[in-house]
Amino acid sequence: MAPSLLHPPSQLSHAAALQLSQQAPAVLRSSPSTVSASPLSALFSASESPELWTKYENLLLSCLRTGDERAAHQCLERLVARFGNDNERVMAFKGLLKEADAENNGQLELVLKEYDQILSDNDTNIPITKRRIALLRSLGRVSDAASSLVRLLEFSPTDAEAWSELAEIYLTQGLYAQAIYALEEVLILAPNAWNIHARLGEMQYMAATASGAGAGPYRKYLAEALKRFARSIELCDDYLRGYYGLKLVTSEVLGDSAGSTKQNGADEFSLPDPATIERLNELATAKLSEIVRHAAARDPGWCGYDELEVAAARELLTKDASALPGVVR
Amino acid sequence: MTWISKTITVFGGLLLAHACYSAQEHSALQSLRAATSTLTSSSPNTAALPVDIAIETVVATLVILLGLVLGTRPLRPIQWRVWAGKIEREGEEGFVDNEGEVNKDYVGNPFRMLEARPGFVDIRKQRREFAQWVKNGDSAGAGAQ
Amino acid sequence: MAQVPVQTIHRDPQLFYWILVPITIVMILTGVLRHYATVLMATAPKKLDQKTIREQRSLLHGINVRSNFHVLSKRSFTTRRDALTTAYESGAYLKDPERRGQAPPNPMSDPSSMEGMMGMMKNQMAMIIPNTLIMSWINAFFSGYVIMKLPFPLTIKFKSMLQAGVATKDMDPRWMSSISWYFLCIFGLQSVFNFLLGNDNAASQMAQQMGQMAPPTGQMFGPGVDPDKQFIAEVENLAVIEHYSVLDGVEQRLLEGITV
Repeated sequence: MAPSLLHPPSQLSHAAALQLSQQAPAVLRSSPSTVSASPLSALFSASESPELWTKYENLLLSCLRTGDERAAHQCLERLVARFGNDNERVMAFKGLLKEADAENNGQLELVLKEYDQILSDNDTNIPITKRRIALLRSLGRVSDAASSLVRLLEFSPTDAEAWSELAEIYLTQGLYAQAIYALEEVLILAPNAWNIHARLGEMQYMAATASGAGAGPYRKYLAEALKRFARSIELCDDYLRGYYGLKLVTSEVLGDSAGSTKQNGADEFSLPDPATIERLNELATAKLSEIVRHAAARDPGWCGYDELEVAAARELLTKDASALPGVVR
Repeated sequence: MTWISKTITVFGGLLLAHACYSAQEHSALQSLRAATSTLTSSSPNTAALPVDIAIETVVATLVILLGLVLGTRPLRPIQWRVWAGKIEREGEEGFVDNEGEVNKDYVGNPFRMLEARPGFVDIRKQRREFAQWVKNGDSAGAGAQ
Repeated sequence: MAQVPVQTIHRDPQLFYWILVPITIVMILTGVLRHYATVLMATAPKKLDQKTIREQRSLLHGINVRSNFHVLSKRSFTTRRDALTTAYESGAYLKDPERRGQAPPNPMSDPSSMEGMMGMMKNQMAMIIPNTLIMSWINAFFSGYVIMKLPFPLTIKFKSMLQAGVATKDMDPRWMSSISWYFLCIFGLQSVFNFLLGNDNAASQMAQQMGQMAPPTGQMFGPGVDPDKQFIAEVENLAVIEHYSVLDGVEQRLLEGITV
């Protein structure tokens, strides 16, 4: 199945990206090289569609990724011809191309300077701000990136993408509380995003199992992680990632049942009683094995799962099967 | 469309065509009779359509409807969780239309963007990873052949 | 039953070619012209400076917190509520904090809001001028003709609409005069414009009239609205929320709802 050019390519596998960029000559040939903005010619030529520009953008990204700079430059030229040099999005793409072309850190610093220059002229250019943050992070200056990101969010607190990036940056720095706060902001903006619920659960789980967490926060984090995973499953039937997390958390809680069962304050979530956790664990195990079985047999209607995720689930199940008799019975 | 629904639709179409033809014949006959019997002027209510033609029309319509309904794809889920589960479980294959192509407005998980974050893409890292993948893939491919 | 005798009026068939078709073509061309005139006259949305963006988006943020509070735990929600309330009340997000409490500037004197008004005026003009011109053109050349007969019967009420310019009392309302054809074109060409110009064209009058009836939601940040008052109102909205979380009892719901 050919990947569609209408979806952003950053989530594709390498093979799919390669396939996309190999389509580049055909796509570039089949679509008109310039679309004039003048109304007279638009009356007579085929009308442009937003899809065409999405296509160019995604093609640009795929080609850059696979190292096909010529096609990428062509895409950019067409975007510039249509939207002009001052369009914020086009500016960001130009910067992206320069970043990709840069050979050493010196050139990257130049690109960074250019971004600073653009931003000093117009400090509301959000695409360029994001590029600058991404470049800072790519150069390894993570704390700089974080502070710029905080400044961006200060004046634009409704940008879910930026909040999510901030959460990941904090996570790489090991600042779990801040990362969780940022991810909660994403959830406020997209309350039904099941993958963000699962991601938050994962972060809570990481925070709980990280060394240095005391007994109180440990249980608090685990409780909320369990609930987050449960919510992600509630939002999405047969969500592999949610069940995986649910199984991990419940196993962790059950293995640690020796710990204190004292309840947290009323403001916090508390763990459900052990019988419920036990049942949740069983449910997760059963569902996971069902998903793994169907996905392994490539049953029709079960082919959407990522192979790596299925493999990880299978591994968890086998590990669990070998460990379970020792723990429970 | 399966062959069952196709056959039913075609059959309904034939039935409908037959009903139309009958009605046409009937009206032609009526006008002929009216023309010949103007002198006697004793045609009380001959203009009405015979009831069997009417019934045939209705039945034909129902049969066509049945065939078309049988031939449609299953309806899209309208519950959030079912819809989301379908995206996760079936991927693109759950969203093909009658022509067997993936729907144009299918975007996969719309919230995946929040994790992929295209605005913050680290293009150099992606290029490095891709180059690495190509190198590994080549060696693996050479080994497999 | 007494059958109403069918009125027949013998018309010159040339009427059809020299009135009906020209009016239609002129109407379509005017629509296309209006579309492009609107596109050309449209000014790019004005760039907002950082302070303004911050003011608007902070308010939106508060609204988002208020409407989606249920994804948060109680503690996270209270933290956010406290932070937002303090910031809103102190006016930290305001564009120009020293102007707090003063009356909002008169929208007429504010140059930035004048631009919006000018845009509206331009749109109005683009609609009114061609309509007036065409109407007077039709009145001058084609008034007083009956040009066609509608294929369906109509009640007597339609007479004033369809037979404008033809003062004949007893005529069947199915007969149409040229000016009525013009009105019919105004309301009926929507789908033609959709076909020619795409869905979001500026040619159709219906869409513009709809737009006038329902004011756009962008009014929230429109001129003459005091952001400080909005912030204070949002503080009150946040204060009355009684918190609950979707995560309460989610395990029970899950265990009841999902069977393996």
